[in-house]
Amino acid sequence: MKAYISIVSAVSRACGVLAVLLVAIAALVVCQMVFIRYFLNGSTVWQTEFVVYSLVAATFIGSPFVLLERGHVNVDLLPNMMAEPARSIMNGIAGLFGLAFAALLAWSGWIYFEEAWTYGWTTDTVWAPPLWIPLLPLPFGIGVMCLQYIAEILRPFADGNPGAATL
Amino acid sequence: MTPLVIGLIVLAALLALLAIGTPIAFALGFVSIAALMIVEGTGTLSILGETFFGGLASFGLVSIPMFILMGAAVASSPAGKDLYLALDRWLNRVPGGLVLSNLGACSIFAALSGSSPATCAAIGKMGIPEMTQRGYPKEIAAGSIAAGGTLGILIPPSVTMIVYGIATETSIGRLFLAGILPGFMLTMLFMAWSLYACGRRGIGLSSVTERFTMAQRFEVLPKVLPFLAIIVGILWVLYGGVATPSEAAGVGAVFCIVLVMVIYRLWKAGPLWRVLRDTLKESVMIMMIIGASELFSFTLSSLFITQSIAAWIGDLEVNRWVLMGVINLFLLFAGFFLPPVAVILMTAPILLPIITQAGFDPYWFAVVLTINMEIGLITPPVGLNLYVINGIAPDISLWQVLRGSLPYVLCMVLGILLLCVFPEIATWLPGFMMG
Repeated sequence: MKAYISIVSAVSRACGVLAVLLVAIAALVVCQMVFIRYFLNGSTVWQTEFVVYSLVAATFIGSPFVLLERGHVNVDLLPNMMAEPARSIMNGIAGLFGLAFAALLAWSGWIYFEEAWTYGWTTDTVWAPPLWIPLLPLPFGIGVMCLQYIAEILRPFADGNPGAATL
Repeated sequence: MTPLVIGLIVLAALLALLAIGTPIAFALGFVSIAALMIVEGTGTLSILGETFFGGLASFGLVSIPMFILMGAAVASSPAGKDLYLALDRWLNRVPGGLVLSNLGACSIFAALSGSSPATCAAIGKMGIPEMTQRGYPKEIAAGSIAAGGTLGILIPPSVTMIVYGIATETSIGRLFLAGILPGFMLTMLFMAWSLYACGRRGIGLSSVTERFTMAQRFEVLPKVLPFLAIIVGILWVLYGGVATPSEAAGVGAVFCIVLVMVIYRLWKAGPLWRVLRDTLKESVMIMMIIGASELFSFTLSSLFITQSIAAWIGDLEVNRWVLMGVINLFLLFAGFFLPPVAVILMTAPILLPIITQAGFDPYWFAVVLTINMEIGLITPPVGLNLYVINGIAPDISLWQVLRGSLPYVLCMVLGILLLCVFPEIATWLPGFMMG
């Protein structure tokens, strides 16, 4: 169980680095686009879509890392007021609902991706990249987040301290 | 079951999930998709991925990570300290100068960072010890920074306003303009209260100021003016119609990072990584809530809940100001527990039709809503700013911070009342600038 948690956490951290790079690249491409459009009076073909899809990808791929860092904001007022074991039970239930949604989203995202892949859909712009490329981060990132969620639910048991769960 | 009953069940389920501590984005998403699948069959699961993805893939949303990046860059640097020093040196002759320069520094830093807790931390780290050392009461020192920090979400550029603009499909440029005068008004109210509170305690305002030479005053400017130039530049670009908010935000963010690297020589990989990591955490958190709220509003309107609530309230034929009062109390209550972005995303799709139907201006309402959210930031049980202040000034108890903040909460309530009596405070500037 400990090995599972540390492997999944390492994957989530790697996802975090990838997502950070996507944000940084998106910021630079916005500047490049502004420069071409307003200073050289040129036209931009791929930049708008590239920036939008990079940031969407960063959101999905960064999501497991943000879960690991407890960055998905919640209202922990009531669980924190509870004594054990009520608090752990509450955290566990909250974790299961979060996992359930993540699993549904990953699954539904996978179906959307698969359709785009099978039918060779492209986006409806001049650039027209294959749609599966921007869609892939959804099932991938949220899929990893499901694994991370399982790790977070297991973590208190692995530490031998179920009371320490704070999902 | 009527749509209203379904709506009530959805609301109850959502509140239950939030109460046990489910992350807001996932609670919102789960309730939405579960309601759709129960009412319309499991086939609706296929729209989940498409709606979530579609809700995020828009160029307008690019401005959110970009403004967060800009704020994170500024917040990571000692820019807050320098801004504070500069204002202190220039305002020291004004009675109560230190409190006033703190509040002024808060409002300027708020514009740069767009984040309330970041503003509190940046200005408070320097400002609170300095104020207590020069003899200002702890309550006023802590309270003024806690309140000044809340201006971050009202004074443009503000991520909260962008989120409102996206949720309600209103113009972000206009929203920014609508926030300027109310932000100024709140700063004035805060300053007025601070002066009165200091005076009432018999604090000789002139005795707690220091003297500075003109050389000392000019010395701090080179570090501060470039950042001010960026804000002015962004607002100019937006209102000159030169570029979109996303473009302005992206360029502003990269400029701020470059400035921080040049002025504060922070070009090591470590600080840059921290800026980007903090940006990622904050923007992923907000974007996931945006995606989930897209799904939420899709569910509410597919199940005719939004329309039924609007029709039901329309049939009640209550006085529009009573309606506004009830909405304000509701928002205030929601703000006590939930972060501003979440409240706006969850309530805007339901409230906006009601508000416009009752003849209120959506830009004016954005300002009232934002001030409500500001109050939530400095009131228990989850007033983020209170805890930030408590963290940076451990010698001031949470109780003292709270007691110090309370009068500023009343200032904000007064601000909302003034806005109700004189809506032009919010609507005049956008009308004047954009027609």
